[in-house]
Order: sequence, then structure tokens, then C-alpha cells
Amino acid sequence: MSATIEVKNLNQYYGKKQALNDVNLTIRTGMFGLLGRNGAGKTTLMKVIATLLPRSEGEVTVCGKSTLKAPEVRRIVGYLPQDFSMYPNMSVYEAMDYMGVLSGLSREQRRQRIPELLLRVNLQDDRRKKVRALSGGMKRRLGIAQAILHDPEVLIVDEPTAGLDPEERVRFRNLLCEIAEDRIVILSTHIVGDIEATCEEIAVLDGGKVIYRGTVADLIAMTEGRVYSAEIDKRELDDLKSAYVVTSMLTLGNHVMVRFLAEEFPFSSAKACEAGVEDAYIYLMQKERGESVC
Amino acid sequence: MLGQLFIKECRQTTRSLIFWLIVLILVWIYASQLGETEIKNEPMPGQESYGLQISQDPELIMRSTLKLLTEEYFQGNYTTYPVGFYKNVTLNEEENRRIGEILEATAGIGSREEAGRMVEAWYGADSEICLEPAEGLTYDQFNRLMDEVDGILGGGSSYSEQKRRRNAKVPMTYEDAVEEYRELIEEDRLTGGYARMFCDYMGIFLGVLPVFLAVARGLRDRRARMQELIYTRKCSSLTVITSRYLSMIVMLTVPVLALSMVLLQKCIIYAGAAGIGVDMLAFVKYTCGWLLPSIMIVTALGMLLTELTNTAVAVLVQGAWWFIAMFTGIHSLGGGQYGWSLVPRHNTEMNWQGFHDGFGQLAANRAFYAAAALVIVALTAFVYSQKRKGKLGVYGKILANRKNES
Repeated sequence: MSATIEVKNLNQYYGKKQALNDVNLTIRTGMFGLLGRNGAGKTTLMKVIATLLPRSEGEVTVCGKSTLKAPEVRRIVGYLPQDFSMYPNMSVYEAMDYMGVLSGLSREQRRQRIPELLLRVNLQDDRRKKVRALSGGMKRRLGIAQAILHDPEVLIVDEPTAGLDPEERVRFRNLLCEIAEDRIVILSTHIVGDIEATCEEIAVLDGGKVIYRGTVADLIAMTEGRVYSAEIDKRELDDLKSAYVVTSMLTLGNHVMVRFLAEEFPFSSAKACEAGVEDAYIYLMQKERGESVC
Repeated sequence: MLGQLFIKECRQTTRSLIFWLIVLILVWIYASQLGETEIKNEPMPGQESYGLQISQDPELIMRSTLKLLTEEYFQGNYTTYPVGFYKNVTLNEEENRRIGEILEATAGIGSREEAGRMVEAWYGADSEICLEPAEGLTYDQFNRLMDEVDGILGGGSSYSEQKRRRNAKVPMTYEDAVEEYRELIEEDRLTGGYARMFCDYMGIFLGVLPVFLAVARGLRDRRARMQELIYTRKCSSLTVITSRYLSMIVMLTVPVLALSMVLLQKCIIYAGAAGIGVDMLAFVKYTCGWLLPSIMIVTALGMLLTELTNTAVAVLVQGAWWFIAMFTGIHSLGGGQYGWSLVPRHNTEMNWQGFHDGFGQLAANRAFYAAAALVIVALTAFVYSQKRKGKLGVYGKILANRKNES
């Protein structure tokens, strides 16, 4: 059995609306990022892989098993949905135990595995706490713990860091990276920073289409030589914005430090910068829309 | 997996507010309806009264029914229960004229004034005055004309075939009372009769209460946003649904059985003092045979409709069904006529004979609902499996998925 997810010519429709358009992907062990705007089709793709949606057209196999054989795929997939929650009146341990039973783990397996996982996600001291009393970050960690409870070969996490404070976000990313050492982890997000910090391989979706498939480094390379920064007068900002795609700016008194994209060297005071994932993503999206960056 | 899941579901049920409300209601019903139950004593010769019993004597049926018709004809108002609901019927001139003709043909009362004089005489009399049917009136003719009266009134009146047979009530003799008591002690071994009465009261409420638990359980996943987490697990849909179903059935049956033990204890104390043997398992047998099918069907239907719609519509559907069952059962409170009602009635510890005669029908009724419940549970598991695959959703595929789409 190969530890890969194969998506071939996948088309997905909601009535007449096409949510996925001829998606082709091969996902291997490690962290795989799915990046795209809200409504790009990320959740739909992940739901098809997690057998929560029947595919309309095409073929999807998870570690050699077709998603048409849902019970087989469910044994090897862990899923953390975007709006994760659990029965609020259960304690952390009870919630894990309940999910363990649903995953077909024996009593012994649960007794051994649950404390291990709670320790791993740093919830061992909160095991008796009710789910309703957990903070957002703790809930997400519980979400990860329940998703890998049955030791799945594939872990699918949908927008896991939304709403987390920076510290929790970093902790969560690190946790995902650890988990991805020996399995496929698909991370869906519209937060570019999450991808930058965790994924080597990514796919960018827009309007249901895969508009980029490759490494983060290659994506960045596409933008090399097109990212500039300049310190300009505040009054010049509107002109600059209308001429270029601004990716960030920092106000410094009457001046503004602007980072922007340009196909060619823009003006004398501008300095070429090293491109980041965010720059590359914005550049890609502009290109996809058929718009020039300057 | 089923066993472990069942235990977890039972534990979840014990934390449900709805469950404890249902238990409280059952306790309240028991306390208010059966809490003061006194075990029937053996009839003694020379008692002032032994109660009333329904007579099947055609002559008495005709007298009682015609007396009632005379009263209602004079008052110009008729009480009916079409589909079990109370209705006050006022007839038009033509219909009233026809009722008058029928009354003349059956009781020889030629006018409304004459009917009024008779009614006044009855109310003024010290003792019961009987109304004699018209000379030469056969029981067949009487029945035919009463059917016509019932038709004019729109059905459900005291003149319908079913109800007029219960119009004639006569005082019970000492011998009748002794015979009925003998049946209670020997045939029912005391507890059988009280178990039936217990089932009658509990059955009324178990014809609707379980739906609340089923709906609450069904909606809990959605409220807790647990649906997708459970859908993606290895556990089969049949196991998930069966464990939930069984836990609800058990958790609803346990308090009912516990309450029945209170009445059983009363019976045992009485029987001990009177030196009578009792059937110790009667309450368990009646609860399982009589009440369990009600719990099963109501819970199953609640689960199915909740899974199908993701709403609490099952409460409305079950409420309507229960209402109809309750009011159509009003004509057979004394037991013996169980039909296919969801709520079979037997509102007395006596009438073993009626129970015995109607047992076949009752058994068929209960078996049907139990079997139907199992079919519905299987159907619920199928619906659940389709939802897991994203093939069913109350909002339709587009809206259901657009909500979470990113």
C-alpha cells in the first residue's frame, strides 16, 4: 500500500455550481498545504478525501483505497473540521474515549493511547476538564488528539489556526509538523503564514482549480526579482497603490515603508527584496486573474 | 464496539436534562394516578353497591339509548366525538325533523314537547324511570335507525354501533362482583390486573414522551458540531444508530420498571395479608409486552424523522399521532377493545375477561409496533449512512456544503 493520495480529474458540483474543476494532485508523506481564498474549494476537496462528500467525477484514492469504499478509507484517515467541537458536557478524557470507541479501538488500546496523546498535545492536566471549559487553543489541540487517536495514515486539518493567538498558533504548527513526520498531513488554510512555517509541498486553489502545484521554494522563485520595497511620502501612497500591488506597508510618521510587486524595476528609490510566500501567493493570484502587478 | 458504545450512550443519557424531565413526568403520573391506588377487597354480602357494569341485554341497550336520544332531541344539542374530539352538534330543521320521526318510530314520542315532558318527569322522579321502546320494535330495526341517527350527527355519537352497546349500565350484583374478584385473584393473580392498569396510565405518556429524548439525541450531534467527527470514524452507521436506540429504550424502560415495583410492593403486602398468591413477574411481563413496543416505535420514529430532517419535526408528528390515538381510544377505556391503537386502553384493574378476549388483537398490535420499530431503526441507519457519505442533507447539497465551503 502506497502512502500517497491520488486525485485524478476530480470535478465536484453542487447542483449547477462547479466547486472543483479538473483537480489533479499527488500528495505524499509530510505536510501538504492547501492554500486559497475562502470559497476556493479547499474544504470541498478535503471532504471528498475524507469521504464526507461523494465525488461527482474523477477518481480519488487514499493510500491505494478508493474513496468509494468509505469504510476502508475512514480507518486510515483522521479529520479535524474547521468548526471543531465536541459534546460540551463530556470531559476531555471522556470525549477522547468516545471517539476511540467510534474508531474501533479496544479498551486496552484506549487506556494506553489516550494519556499518551493528551501528554503530546499538552492536555494531560486538563483531562478532567469539561470540553465547554476549554479555550480555543486547547480545543484545537484536543481536536488534533482525537484526529490521530486511531493512528491514521492521513490527517486532514481544515483551517486549524483560525482564531488562535500567536503563541497557540506556533505551538499548533509545531505539533502538526511533528505529526507529519510519518504520515500525510493535509493542512488547508487561507493564512499564508501557516503554510510558510510548515509545508514544503503545496497546492493553490482558486475558483475550484489548482493554479499552482509544487514546492514553496518554487512558488517563491516565481516571484524573485518582482518584490520591492520603498520608503515614500504618505501623499504618494495612493499613486503607488494604483500602479502596483502592495503586499504590506508600515507607517513611519509622514512616511510609509511599502512592500510591493512589480514586473520591472519601478523607480530609483525602490530596493529589490527577497520574496516571501505571501508575495508569491499574491503574485500568483494576480496572474491567475489575468492582471499585471504593475 | 456496540456494547461499549451502548454504555457510553447510556451515560450520556443520564446527563440529559430531557431524560430527567421525562423521569419526573413519569413519577408525577404515577404519584397522581396510581399513588393512592388501593388494592381491591373481596366483595362482602350486603354491601350498598358493587359498582356498575355494562349490560349487553338488547332490551336495556334500546331503553338507555332511546332515553339519551330523547334528552338530546329535546335540548336540540347532540354531543359527538368524531375522530375522538368533542363536538357539540346542532341540526337543521330537516335533520331535526328526521330525528323526530326516528324517535317516534322507536319510542313513540311524537313531538319535541312530548320529549320535554318526559325529560322533566325523569328529572323530577325519585327513582329511575325507564323509557319503553315502541311496541313491535325489533333490535335490528333499532340498530338500523340508530345508525341513521349517527350518520345525521356526523359520526362519533352515542348512537354509533360501538357506543350504543355501552349505553346500558346496570348495577353489579354480589355474584357478579365475586366473579370479577375471583378473576382478579385467580386468573390475574392480583398483580396482572394492576399491571394492566399501570400500563394503561404509563402507556398514555409513553406514547409521546420518548420522542423528546430521540429528538434531543439526534440534534445533539448537530448542536455540538460533532456530525463530521463521527461520520469520518470507522464505526458503522448501524452500530451508531443501534447503540443510541438501545440506550434510549433501556434508559426509558428502567424508570418505568422501577415505578412498577412500587405498585408491585403494594400488591405483595396486600396478598401477604390476605394469603393470596401473586405473579411476581407480572409487572415486568406487562411492561415489556405492553409498554416496550410503545417506547420502541415512538423512539424509532423520532430518530428517523430527526435524522431525515435535522429538525424537531418528529415532536409535531408524534404529538399529532398521540393526540389521535388518545381520543380514539376514549371509547374503549375499560379494556378489551385494543384495535391497532398506539395507546391501548385498559383503565381498570378488573375486566380480565375483556383482556382475555382481546388478547389476540393486543398481541398483534404490540408485535406490529415492535416489528415496525425495528424496520424504522434499520431505515434510520440507512439514512445515517447516506448522510455520512454526503448524499443527504436537509438543506440540500448545495446549501449544506456551501455553508462550510472555503
